[in-house]
Amino acid sequence: MTYDRKDIPAIADEYVLGLLEPQDAERLEGDMEVDAELRSAVAASRERFLPLDTGIRPAAVSDDLWTRIETALPEQKTPGHEPPIRPANDNRGGWRIAAISAMAATVVLGVGLAFSLLRTVEPVVVAVLVNEAGDVQAVVEDFGSEQAVIRMLADFEVPQEKTIQVWTLPSRETGPVSLGVINGIRSAQLAGPALPAPRSGQLYEITLEQAGGSPTGRPTGPILAKGLAKLAR
Amino acid sequence: MQQSKKYFHLHPEAALIGIAKKRARRGGMAERLSDVTISEHDNLDAALVACAGGDRQALRGIFEREAGRLVAVAERIVRRRDLAEEVVQEAFLRIWTHAHQYRPDRGSARGWIYAIVRNRAINLLRDGRREHTVEEVEALMDKDAADEVMAAWHNLDRTSRLHECLHALDGTKRHGILMAYVGGYSHGEIAGRLCIPLGTAKSWIRRGLASLRECMA
Repeated sequence: MTYDRKDIPAIADEYVLGLLEPQDAERLEGDMEVDAELRSAVAASRERFLPLDTGIRPAAVSDDLWTRIETALPEQKTPGHEPPIRPANDNRGGWRIAAISAMAATVVLGVGLAFSLLRTVEPVVVAVLVNEAGDVQAVVEDFGSEQAVIRMLADFEVPQEKTIQVWTLPSRETGPVSLGVINGIRSAQLAGPALPAPRSGQLYEITLEQAGGSPTGRPTGPILAKGLAKLAR
Repeated sequence: MQQSKKYFHLHPEAALIGIAKKRARRGGMAERLSDVTISEHDNLDAALVACAGGDRQALRGIFEREAGRLVAVAERIVRRRDLAEEVVQEAFLRIWTHAHQYRPDRGSARGWIYAIVRNRAINLLRDGRREHTVEEVEALMDKDAADEVMAAWHNLDRTSRLHECLHALDGTKRHGILMAYVGGYSHGEIAGRLCIPLGTAKSWIRRGLASLRECMA
């Protein structure tokens, strides 16, 4: 079907609002595949209204919803995008499960910390750092504007000549950036470099480095714990 | 002997350091940077590419981040949690099977994902599979739907351009647009709720949408 070009933005909006008759909506979806102007109008309309969806309070999702989805997933047929081959002793899966399980803890701890520790200033994000076994080791609260706090929640022993260093990964392009080193095992204020505002899902980790911090400016020692940030609500 | 036992009990990080040494032997920096796979999946564009390549963890990453909101969005339209979850379940299968079709010219990855959920919810609604009697539907709509639509309006970020431009519309046009987008109402349902003729409802919404586009351009 061809559309009067001047009607395209209006039709795109009605489609995005779900106001087209089902058969018209179906036809439009087919036409979008070949009509770049229509495709772009629909994309623009979606972006305009998206804040009404992303600002919603999340529902509590049934525990088994993911399982139901996963068991129904077919194998992907498209070649050329094979997942990277992983070493047999790869244990990243362990980290993932640990990180995911930490997310629930993040919400609880984030709320609790916001109330109990920082009654006046709210952190932008909170990251719960877990070790490879999934045990919570520390919490980082990043306030943006070069201010962060780390709370150590486990007893690490730092050998002489070693120090714990806190890192974050603002983006893959930037790579890991040091937020500072901790003297001894204690909760500490960190004054890192100027970075973009921390965002949800940003990686934080602590590593064991030589005294004074990593000589390369990148993490070189073992990772003691890591976790992904969640926005403080 | 007793001392070394005590050491292990009091200092569990000794075990951690052992793990770390093992990791370090596996390849130092290169290995470390690839440890960042989790955060890679936070980037929804990258996650869709990974899904197209068969990476189920990437889909799970999308689920972990968005499912709560997606279920809530679907529930505003279909009004029942169980149906909303069914919608999200079907939507994730579609995200998985259609991830290879996603391109940036279809808008943001997030917009694309939400649109799939919205479309499933609207289709379920229009197919009449909302398993209520007419009376139940009426009652549910009257009780909750007006609240949901108003809640979406009140929760909308006040500093957003969308809020500013919706605010500039007159109340009826704004309400009609919100009823359609938030609650999945059809033209006919909107006309009925706002007690205006169908033709009037259609033309008000059309004009409201035109003003909104102009305001947000």
